[in-house]
Amino acid sequence: MKNESLANITGTLLITAFLVVTLAFAVQGAFETRTEIARTFARQAQIQQAQIELEELLRLQIDEENSLRGYSLTRDPFYVAQYHQAAAGYDAKAAGIRGILRDQQLAGAGVLLGAYAALQSRWRAEVARPLLRNPRQRLVELDKRNKLFADYETRTVADVRAALAATEAGLVASTQQQLNRSAYVRAFWVIVFGVLAMLFNTYRSRLNRELEEERTITEILQRAFRSESVPLPHCEVGSAYLSATRQVAVGGDVFDVYRLSGNRALILIADISGKGVDAAVLTAFVKFMIRAIALRHAEPASILSEFNEAFSKAVGNPYLFVSMFVGILDTTTFRLDYGSAGHDCAYLRRRDGVEQLSVTGPVVGVMEEPFYSKTIDLDPGDTLVLTTDGLTEVRNRDGKALLGIGAMELIERAGTHAQELADDLIVAARARGGARLRDDLAILAIRVMDTERERVRA
Amino acid sequence: MRRVASLLLVVVFSVTPAVARADCKEHRGDKVVLYSTTDDPSVLIWDSRARLRAYYGASFDEAQALLPHSILVAPGTRATVISCVANYIESPIFEQPEDAIGVVISSGPQRGVTRWVLGNDVRSPPKGHH
Repeated sequence: MKNESLANITGTLLITAFLVVTLAFAVQGAFETRTEIARTFARQAQIQQAQIELEELLRLQIDEENSLRGYSLTRDPFYVAQYHQAAAGYDAKAAGIRGILRDQQLAGAGVLLGAYAALQSRWRAEVARPLLRNPRQRLVELDKRNKLFADYETRTVADVRAALAATEAGLVASTQQQLNRSAYVRAFWVIVFGVLAMLFNTYRSRLNRELEEERTITEILQRAFRSESVPLPHCEVGSAYLSATRQVAVGGDVFDVYRLSGNRALILIADISGKGVDAAVLTAFVKFMIRAIALRHAEPASILSEFNEAFSKAVGNPYLFVSMFVGILDTTTFRLDYGSAGHDCAYLRRRDGVEQLSVTGPVVGVMEEPFYSKTIDLDPGDTLVLTTDGLTEVRNRDGKALLGIGAMELIERAGTHAQELADDLIVAARARGGARLRDDLAILAIRVMDTERERVRA
Repeated sequence: MRRVASLLLVVVFSVTPAVARADCKEHRGDKVVLYSTTDDPSVLIWDSRARLRAYYGASFDEAQALLPHSILVAPGTRATVISCVANYIESPIFEQPEDAIGVVISSGPQRGVTRWVLGNDVRSPPKGHH
């Protein structure tokens, strides 16, 4: 069982790790794609900026040429100023575009732009300057040269435009490829994640089913083994059980009230170490073995000694032990003989307060030390309260345990009748521990009826 | 002498293959207007279609050397088509090959001159212009 649990935990951890790694890969992939696409978009924006600047450059070139024409036709110096302004703007703009092309590592377009700027320089030297020096000279040859420059600049600019457009198209295609790749990769991870999630779900369902089956079996066993409230003459019997969690509901707490021959009644509460089906089966062993031994022995000390021997032989596990309280109650005299094997959660509530019944021996299953019995007389109205350590160990929000003193205070304040008292203790434990209950809690209360009227009514 | 040369050119244009003319966008006798769509709208007209083709395939310096064989006419100069060679001029700057069109200039200082011009620089005149 332990190996199976270990395998289950390992399997769950493994699948969870797979899921987490898959998710991490998917997230990282998406982030990388986003970064790459953002970089491509930034580059594309720069190229588009260069294209816009190039159109602006052409406008400045035309401004230069028109200014020169204006000057040659009118000889108005205004056009000379306009020419120089356009020329300065052209040079600055060309330098700006060259910078962008250099940043974007577009060497081809940069060379073309350089050729274009060189043509413009030649045009200034061969066409513009002679005209600026002498606007009266015959224009025909200069016009032809101007036409030649215009044609070649048009060609060069067309080449620069084409280079930029090709680069932009390449970037668009690259972005599209990245998006496609991202879509495929994402689809792949979604499928992987989905398959793993399905596997995980199947695995978890199987574990839950197994756990549920085990829990059902254990609950059935516990219900079968736990005593009902057997009526005792002139006594009230109350009991309650509180599970800490679903898993702990299959713990090893057991109590029993069993009528032996004559006026004798066996009273038992035990807390077996361990949980699950193993512990539940042991509760049955404890309950019926104690009953069997109690039929042959009158003394609780003898019952505990024999049980200790039988338990050690039957279980053979040094890590399993039982703390238990065994009492034999005479229902006519209300004399109680009891033995407490390491079970310090037994109390007696009298009219004047609550006392803790002392331990009379070690826990069962650990050593072969002798067990002793003690005898107390119960008076009408007295209540024997037996609990498991789930009550003393219940912790408040600050982590402080209730301990014996706290338990005794609770018992003192609890309701008069046996069942009322048991229920009150459960409510108080739940209120104190909330979701922090560490152990399950069993309570058995036996109250000697107070008045004749009460006894008659019972 | 000039008149003789013009007549000679007319004869040369007249023997241009009819097949080529069939694919041309302009036809003999069409009245056209010369106008360039480059930054400078004036038009270069050439003394031979070979030089016209060479100009558009040449480097800048080679083109500059060809310039004495051309005349620059003002945009809007009218002309009459006398010949056409379809798809004759191939250049990286054109998406499609361009026609070489032989024209006789019919307006401006170059009136009566016969030359070759790029197909793309030839436009149909506005209605009723001629």
